[in-house]
Amino acid sequence: MVQLDLHAKPGKDYYLSIGLEGSANKLGVGIIRHPLGNLTPTNKAEVLANIRDTYITPPGEGFLPRDTARHHRNWVVRLIKRALHESGIRGTQVDVICFTQGPGMGAPLQSVVVAARTLSQMWEIPLVGVNHCVGHIEMGREITDSQNPVVLYVSGGNTQVIAYSRQRYRIFGETLDIAIGNCLDRFARTLKISNNPSPGYNIEQLAKKGKNFVDLPYTVKGMDLSMSGILEYIDNLANDLFKGKKNKILMASSGQITVEDLCFSLQESLFAMLVEITERAMAHVNSNQVLIVGGVGSNVRLQEMMAIMVKDRNGSIYATDERFCIDNGIMIAHAGLLAYRMGQVTELKGSVCSQRFRTDEVFVEWRD
Amino acid sequence: MPATRDLIPYAEYSSPDLSKKLTVDATLTHSTNGKTTGPSDHVLGAGAVDNDKPSEAKSSRLGALRGMLTTLQDDVNEFLTQRMKDADAAHTRAEEEADLERRVLDDGVDEDDED
Repeated sequence: MVQLDLHAKPGKDYYLSIGLEGSANKLGVGIIRHPLGNLTPTNKAEVLANIRDTYITPPGEGFLPRDTARHHRNWVVRLIKRALHESGIRGTQVDVICFTQGPGMGAPLQSVVVAARTLSQMWEIPLVGVNHCVGHIEMGREITDSQNPVVLYVSGGNTQVIAYSRQRYRIFGETLDIAIGNCLDRFARTLKISNNPSPGYNIEQLAKKGKNFVDLPYTVKGMDLSMSGILEYIDNLANDLFKGKKNKILMASSGQITVEDLCFSLQESLFAMLVEITERAMAHVNSNQVLIVGGVGSNVRLQEMMAIMVKDRNGSIYATDERFCIDNGIMIAHAGLLAYRMGQVTELKGSVCSQRFRTDEVFVEWRD
Repeated sequence: MPATRDLIPYAEYSSPDLSKKLTVDATLTHSTNGKTTGPSDHVLGAGAVDNDKPSEAKSSRLGALRGMLTTLQDDVNEFLTQRMKDADAAHTRAEEEADLERRVLDDGVDEDDED
């Protein structure tokens, strides 16, 4: 059994942690409270504040590092103040300051770590650098009480099927090129639909109105998948549709294929691929639990499709809502606090961020 | 604001051929909206509305420091951008000179232009 309280402060029966997240276009600040003792369904972590602000670009545009970093720089202090106010604690009361160390976009990561370092020096509180993916996994486990699930991590920058083994989150399968969220976001740009609240959400709403399925390439490669070819293919179909070019793929028995049909078909194809590799990972590791994390995990259709597969295997599916699925500060506060409770801290000179930081590089000391 | 002027930032640059100290005139008023720290031209061109402006500087010690830092950041950005442009220009000139030398040494025969 792992001892989580070897570094507890004498006379205090809880820990407080603040987490700063800014690896992509969301800036998040979260404050979490852990009671002493191992976290169980009856001894749970408590979310004191979880605030997010998203950098939103005009339709048809992605988010660029420079402008995203500027958004984070200009909002981070205001968000930290709001989070402290909401949680009703003073900054100097926290045990640890956690920040996303990677993976992610360089400039946004850099601008948030500067805030974390400043707080650490101002309040004389240690820093802990957190792997973004591990943050998602740990928060998902805590919220859903899933014990040892196969994790499907799907977001704008990452697509991985992960299972825990011997103190590492091991990657069983992943994308060979672009992430699933990136594929959906870029298709949203082709369609010039709004990026508010997120392009993926707007595709999901359009897909609900789709009736005809258009055959798209299906590109599972062993345990991995590839999505850039599918994007290219459906982008071409959409462009033909907009230009009114004749294309027999765009003709259904009930008439012309619509944008809604394309969104529906893209979701069905991509999600079917995810379900396939997740099912194979479950068979490999002999698990009957699936936990979906990451921004795309808030897609209800993905949750539905996954649930059908999991039901066939007599298993259970765990997913969280947008507060915890989409990038947030609370997951960084939570995962960082787990590491801190095992005595891990990040020295100031070791607090450099990295765009590349694989999930399996993290030593998961806090699990058996 | 007499007591607010005790925090005055500066920046130092040094390289083998140049050392420079950038300072801020603390007697002037400085804003947190810098010349070089706004949204990029690309997103403005795409019709972005800037909702992410920094908050105004308060009339406190730290507020004054924020304003001065923004001005200093502008100066550093402009200085470094100019340095990079100069380095690029020097590099291009050196290449042109090397090219001239090659043509003279090859008796004016430019192999690329043979046919």
